Amino acid sequence: MSPLANAGRLRRPMAIAPSPALETTPVRKPRRIALTLVAAILLMFGLDALLFRTHLYTSILEPDSSAGLLELILWREKAAQRTAGDNLVVTLGNSRMGYVPKVVDLRPRQTGYVVRTAGVAGSDPRAWYYMLRDLDPTARRYRAIVFGIDDYDDEDQAFHPDDDIRALHYCVARLRWSDVIDFSRSFQSRAVQWEAFRGSVLKGIALQNDIQAFLSHPLKRIAYMRLCHKDWPGWTYNFEETTRNMVGLQIDWSNLKATYPPGMTDEQKNSTRGWLLHETVPQTGRLAHFLRTWLGRVADRYRDSRTKIIFIRLPRGPIPRPDYLVKKRSSSIRELASRPNVILADEHLFDCLEHPEFFKDAVHLNRDGVEKFSGMLADEVARILGPPGGRAAR
Amino acid sequence: MLFNTAHFFLFLAVVLALFYSSPRPLRKYILLAASYFFYGSWNYRFIPLLLTLTVIDYTAGIWLEKVPPGPRRKTVLIVSLCANLGFLGFFKFYNFLGSNLAWVVDKPASAFFLNIVLPLGISFHTFQSMSYVVDVYRGEQQAVRNPIDYALFICFFPQLVAGPIVRARNFFGDLWHWQPPSAEDVSRGILLMTLGLTKKMAFADQFAKVANDYFKNVSGNPGWLTAWSGVVAFGMQIYFDFSGYTDMAIGMAKLLGFHFPVNFRRPYLAASITDFWRRWHISLSTWLRDYLYISLGGNRRGRWMTYRNLMLTMLLGGLWHGASWNFVIWGGYHGALLSLERVFRGNRPVRDDWNWFYPLKALLTFALVMIGWVFFRAADLPQSLQVLRQMFRGHGHLLLANWHLELMLIALVLAVVEEKYDGFERVLKAPMLAYASALALMFFCIEVFGVIDASIPFVYFQF
Repeated sequence: MSPLANAGRLRRPMAIAPSPALETTPVRKPRRIALTLVAAILLMFGLDALLFRTHLYTSILEPDSSAGLLELILWREKAAQRTAGDNLVVTLGNSRMGYVPKVVDLRPRQTGYVVRTAGVAGSDPRAWYYMLRDLDPTARRYRAIVFGIDDYDDEDQAFHPDDDIRALHYCVARLRWSDVIDFSRSFQSRAVQWEAFRGSVLKGIALQNDIQAFLSHPLKRIAYMRLCHKDWPGWTYNFEETTRNMVGLQIDWSNLKATYPPGMTDEQKNSTRGWLLHETVPQTGRLAHFLRTWLGRVADRYRDSRTKIIFIRLPRGPIPRPDYLVKKRSSSIRELASRPNVILADEHLFDCLEHPEFFKDAVHLNRDGVEKFSGMLADEVARILGPPGGRAAR
Repeated sequence: MLFNTAHFFLFLAVVLALFYSSPRPLRKYILLAASYFFYGSWNYRFIPLLLTLTVIDYTAGIWLEKVPPGPRRKTVLIVSLCANLGFLGFFKFYNFLGSNLAWVVDKPASAFFLNIVLPLGISFHTFQSMSYVVDVYRGEQQAVRNPIDYALFICFFPQLVAGPIVRARNFFGDLWHWQPPSAEDVSRGILLMTLGLTKKMAFADQFAKVANDYFKNVSGNPGWLTAWSGVVAFGMQIYFDFSGYTDMAIGMAKLLGFHFPVNFRRPYLAASITDFWRRWHISLSTWLRDYLYISLGGNRRGRWMTYRNLMLTMLLGGLWHGASWNFVIWGGYHGALLSLERVFRGNRPVRDDWNWFYPLKALLTFALVMIGWVFFRAADLPQSLQVLRQMFRGHGHLLLANWHLELMLIALVLAVVEEKYDGFERVLKAPMLAYASALALMFFCIEVFGVIDASIPFVYFQF
């Protein structure tokens, strides 16, 4: 410890040492200092914009992350637009919208339409809006956009998608400066609004985990991205859903209790509890407001377009929840159908798939379910749109 | 009100605006009110304690100047020191002594336990106050006549809760001959505040997450690699945390026209433990040197007395940090290392020239300091021993991700650049765009690495 070790040699200091402030001549240039600070802040925003508002970093987002998956799907579908011809239909939704592209691709010979999916697992209508804005900037590229919806009637649940910050992590690369206020105000609680605001202003904050993971293995990430850009469309095209099913599941709706057959996995049981057996909550209209806002914006965007907006009700589950469990007060989707260009598919079209043998868990279809759903969807879209060049059915 | 929160920056902005928009005679009252508000925002119930200590030492200073040298004068000094140490001892060491007494008389550990809340920053402001009284006693400092001035010296908010421990002569020099900060002071202040914020949010808090996870579950994380990475993470956390806080405190003071001493000089580049203590928490080590080591005789009474003085100083320095055997052992460990170095070096001055052996010596010093941090961070003695055992057996896995290591590498490069080329001063004197770029890079670093939502308190706030 040098200060201690050499202490014996130290002389005692003066009573009052002259202050450094006394020795310097004050040169005050507050304007210059303020300018420097402004320049520093602008430079920081510039650096953020250079990295995160261009393709520089968004092209190497982790493909397995929310933002990365959305970007990869967007890239794949934009690439597909170049070769898919004029009669292109895109479907949007979350993981429940999954179907087999290969099966749908067999249909163009019969229907004349190429149906592609831009569904992103875990996403919601807010993310679909921002994604669609960049997927179809002219709002004229598609013959139809098909949205897979859980229900035509609105049921508020304990989880509120209007306050789900995951939307930021899906859309972060798509958000523009002009979106900042609107996007952040679309959340409900102050804390989430603030998180959305700062994440959309300084995208580095929202992408922290991704950046840190990239810095840990930059070469591996780049190699993986290259591989994805080469093979990912093929992987997704050839993906085969599991054959696992929910056969044997029984539900006592009066007590909200399920009986599971032997061999059912925890994932299947958890999804049953969360999706089918959840408690009802007071119906406040929050979900309706959320759907009206975001799907309404989509409808507005395509108001004068040739593109039709089609809603389909997805198969509700291996054993659908009875309607008497909750009194649903509104139907934002049916309201939307009154707008031009918006069409509702038959609500009961997929009722035939609401059986345990077609579901891999309580939420998602299995291989058989997906194959049937996929073909039925392509046929229904073709029926609604009519033959290419003809008039759409309503 | 943590320094790295929006609330604090709002508070600082208001204080700066009020300070500079008020007539000069009012400014110290504004600082005093702001300081008490800052302290009260943590726990207003301790303001009377702070005021009591202020009154005692203010009065003691005036008495010491009036009373001629002799036993009465010494009595005044002792009364003042006893009051300071009494408060410090009660709040900080009562339960420690009580539990040890309970062990000696074979009673349950809680037999003498009192539910005492430690007043924030008591160790810092008590030492600062004591140094003033001792300086007046020694004739090195004039007694302060204006109670407002003295109260401000004790509770000045930038350094109230975690230092640096400012000497009275420096503080009153600045206060009594206050000059508006020069453009260079303001530039330095802003750069220091940004640097401190970056150190805290982007470095310290990230390493804190790793260290906290490790020390929360030591037995679940066996192996030397795991243990070393957990301990190194804490070593990084405490350095960036404390030096970050200090940088912010010094920077804030600069903006208000005050000049605090440097508290850290790249301690992990030290090539010996002696050198480490020249670079680590300098305001404390010089305090201990001036008021304890020299009082004990320093190195003027032979080798063995020097070793004893070193050991005693470091043991008390350890105990200053907290009331537990871990801190005593930490202090004793450093005292022993300093003594050992003294044995080998004799009376030759410390020479740590940069040569080919320097990195090796620095690495060894770093490892020794890390071993010391085990006692500093572990919850208790058994956990310290468990970590130490793990540091030298088994394999384990690295708790730090590659990007943590990259952060450490960047910090090392910057430290070497600063050490050899005075990088900070160069940035200060650089053209506006270069200075602004340095600030922008630090802001960006906070953006992509800063721990923003989790509120991780400064380590030294607990002392």
